[in-house]
Amino acid sequence: MPPKRKARGTTRNSRTSSSSSNKRFASEENMVKRNKKSAFEDNVMAMFSELAGGSEKFAIDMEGISKLCEQIDIDPESDVRVLVLLWKLGANDRPGEISKEEFLGGCTRLGVDSASKIQGLMPSLDLGFLDREEFKGFYKFCFQFQREGTHRTLDTGLVSALLDMLLKGGRIPSERLETFIEYLDTKCPNTRITLDQWTSFLEFAYEVEDLADYDEDGGAWPVLLDEYVEWMASKNK
Amino acid sequence: MSVFNRNIIQLEDGWNRIRKEAIDVLIDLLNNNFGGDRRGFTPTEYIQIYTECYEMCTQSTPYNWSRDLYTRHGETMQNYLVSTVLPALREKSDIHLLRELRLRWRNHTIMNKWLRRFFTYLDRYYVKHHSLPTLHEAGLTHFRVQIYEQIKADVCAAILALINEHREGSVIDQDLIKNIVELFEAMGMGTLDAYCSDLEVPLLEATAEYYKRQCADWIAVDTTPEYLIKSERALEAERARVMDYLNSESEGKLLNTVEKELLESVEIDLLEKENSGCRFLLSNDRSEDLKRMFSLFSRLDKGLDPMSAIVQRFITSKGEEIHNARENRLKSSTSSSKESNVDPDFISALLKLHEKYLGVVRNEFSGHALFQKALKDAFVDIINKNTGQFTNAELMSTYCDRILKSGGGERLSEAEVEGKLDKIVQLFSYLTEKDLFAEIYRNQLSKRLLTGRSLSEDAEKFMIAKLKLQCGTQFTSKMEGMLGDLAVGSDYRTEFDARMRSNEEFKSKLEFSVQVLTTGFWPSNKVVDAIPSTDMLICMGEFKKWHDSKHAKRKLKYMFSLGNATVRATFGKRSYDVQVVTLQAIVLDALNGGVKYTFTELSEKLNIEEAVLKPLMHSLCGNKYKVVKKISANGAPSSSKIQTTDSFMANPKFTAQTRKFRIPMASLDASHSSKRVEEDRTHAIEASIVRTMKARKTLSHQNLVAEVLSQLAFFRPNAKAIKKAVASLIDRQYLERSADDNNVYNYLA
Repeated sequence: MPPKRKARGTTRNSRTSSSSSNKRFASEENMVKRNKKSAFEDNVMAMFSELAGGSEKFAIDMEGISKLCEQIDIDPESDVRVLVLLWKLGANDRPGEISKEEFLGGCTRLGVDSASKIQGLMPSLDLGFLDREEFKGFYKFCFQFQREGTHRTLDTGLVSALLDMLLKGGRIPSERLETFIEYLDTKCPNTRITLDQWTSFLEFAYEVEDLADYDEDGGAWPVLLDEYVEWMASKNK
Repeated sequence: MSVFNRNIIQLEDGWNRIRKEAIDVLIDLLNNNFGGDRRGFTPTEYIQIYTECYEMCTQSTPYNWSRDLYTRHGETMQNYLVSTVLPALREKSDIHLLRELRLRWRNHTIMNKWLRRFFTYLDRYYVKHHSLPTLHEAGLTHFRVQIYEQIKADVCAAILALINEHREGSVIDQDLIKNIVELFEAMGMGTLDAYCSDLEVPLLEATAEYYKRQCADWIAVDTTPEYLIKSERALEAERARVMDYLNSESEGKLLNTVEKELLESVEIDLLEKENSGCRFLLSNDRSEDLKRMFSLFSRLDKGLDPMSAIVQRFITSKGEEIHNARENRLKSSTSSSKESNVDPDFISALLKLHEKYLGVVRNEFSGHALFQKALKDAFVDIINKNTGQFTNAELMSTYCDRILKSGGGERLSEAEVEGKLDKIVQLFSYLTEKDLFAEIYRNQLSKRLLTGRSLSEDAEKFMIAKLKLQCGTQFTSKMEGMLGDLAVGSDYRTEFDARMRSNEEFKSKLEFSVQVLTTGFWPSNKVVDAIPSTDMLICMGEFKKWHDSKHAKRKLKYMFSLGNATVRATFGKRSYDVQVVTLQAIVLDALNGGVKYTFTELSEKLNIEEAVLKPLMHSLCGNKYKVVKKISANGAPSSSKIQTTDSFMANPKFTAQTRKFRIPMASLDASHSSKRVEEDRTHAIEASIVRTMKARKTLSHQNLVAEVLSQLAFFRPNAKAIKKAVASLIDRQYLERSADDNNVYNYLA
């Protein structure tokens, strides 16, 4: 049985009796906290300027990101965790870069202020850890991040590569992924894919297991998917 | 016996007296059929009997004989019926039974009447006091129980036998049946129940049986029209039967029975009979038979549905014949001649077909809604099926163009013109792609108006008004704008001319006028920035001065390909008035005086591009009136086509028969821009989606599609087009997909 607590009055009394010292103690705590915080921030800012090429820069671009990848020993071309990292840091403002504020905010959230700490974070960024909802957000981020400048669409070639990188590994049926990539590559070589088509594909892959259930006229799927289903049907004849 | 006798009357005494003086007398009368010396009861006799009864009923107890009298009244009746009437009836059968029954019923009525009168006093107090049936009712009940219930089945059978004889054509005693029917009616005691259950029900069964047989006999042998005539006759006969000797309540039920057996059960057979069914009647314009068929089947519940389906299929097949004729014409026309957008035979055939069956629906089918719909559905199918290169929308518009153009074929009176246009608008109402028609019509209207070839402004206004009625103001706003421009233009012209005349300084060599067009109303035509002649430029400058003083902010752009000019061309001794397009006039001016230019020089000097200059030069030196001579470059092969290496000069050897002639030029613009129609449609779909979503905020995909389809009146987009529009709007962030449901859209403000 836990010991009875002291009567509250006593505790309060003991507090008020040394209120001034407590105040001092409190402000000291805060100062330590502030110091810790500013040290943390300084580290992050140092990281930022190294990667961005100067502290006056507004954002880290792809070059800087490659540099970071070198530092943490992952391959940005093939390792999807770089994207997960950027997503978690919150690089939402512009495609292909992460701004100073975003970087600072993201690092603070993740509690990393050095390349080695980031490296330590990497294993936790595996795709398998993301549940359906989280993955949806990440998946959408990937499209947005890969855009060029003010474009709102992506080239089919890039889309195929991205889909393969993100969705292989069983999150959606591999037949669905492979045939869709094949469809894009053969039937839509010089087309642009919109965000709506991108996100709809994931929904589609989750919802429609059997293409016989696909309802073209009743469903609100984009025309791209209607045509994919038609193509599959004629392929299987 | 004095009425003032106040001695107590004993029951048996009184009763005996009554029996002797009243009842027995009455019965004698009946038995002798009122044949003997006595005819009835005199008033004196009656009063005596009445008083007897009265006194017996007003004596104080225990001498009040009301109850006994009431009972004995009943017994008397009963005995008479049982002992005399019933045996008499039982002896007879068939028609004799009916006759006997009529007699006995008449007798009973009389008996009931007299007995009631004798014992009236009972009715006044005793009956009321004890809530008993009145004497009259009691009498009827006795008849019903003792006689009617016993023989009603036989009577009914006898009647039905007679009716069947009547149906077979024999003459029968209708009054007899009528009287018996009255008996049945009376036996209901204030309701028709007895009549219904005892006569009507068996009657309906027998009728059904009878007509079932008839139907089987007729359907095997008769053609549909013959069968229908017989059915019509049968129905009429039954209706007359009810009126003549049955209760009117039976009419509906009886006719229903006949309809069911004769018409309903074999409707499909009748309609589809080879060589005499509905199709046959339509093919052979058998209007009387069709009318009859319509009126008979309209009696049945949903009887007209199969008929209207056949009519629709028939009209559609007629339409297919017209389509096939057109296809054959197209195939057989020589391969060298290009397919043209004119096919008056096709359109006239459709108009004729429409008018014919409009008439049929109106006359033979009384304008019934089901048949109007059949006509409509058939024509929607027919009109929207396109054969050949040109859509029906274009063919129809060209048909109108011919009517509305002056000099376009036969001369028609104003009424005829309006009649034709009216009919074409009816056909137009079935067209799905109305916006395509509008686009083509507008282009043709613009050409008519600008070349001055329109038949009459009234005719144009008439057609536009009809279209407006069909489709609303938005549809015709541009057309009306065009007419408006011309009206304003003619006012301007008068004003400008007056000003020019009053202007002493300005002396122009050219007579000219300018027609100003509002860009939005008119079809977009190719702009040719040709450099006109110096004289023209002076005139254009003057006009600009005047115009700017009126509308400082407006910008004018000259369309030389649309204007007209008359050029006085002198070749040697002869002069001609050549009517040309302004562009052509510019070229002729440049070649004035026998100057020679190469193609390229001309093109540069006049700032006319190759694509325009080629057809232009072709018109001047290639066709009927070769006012310009084409000289091929040395070494280049000569051809009928204009080549960039050619040179041109006025043709010194030119002659023509007539003094005035026109040199037409091929149009630089297509008859319409289908690309533009597509663009307009995409805009319309998007606008409709945005409008809908703005109002509803959230909507599922299917509901959105339904809304959009209902809003778009002038064409019918397919589901794919709508999806594409939605995708575009999502991309431009007018809409988003709902996070909860992929099928639902949200409006983004």
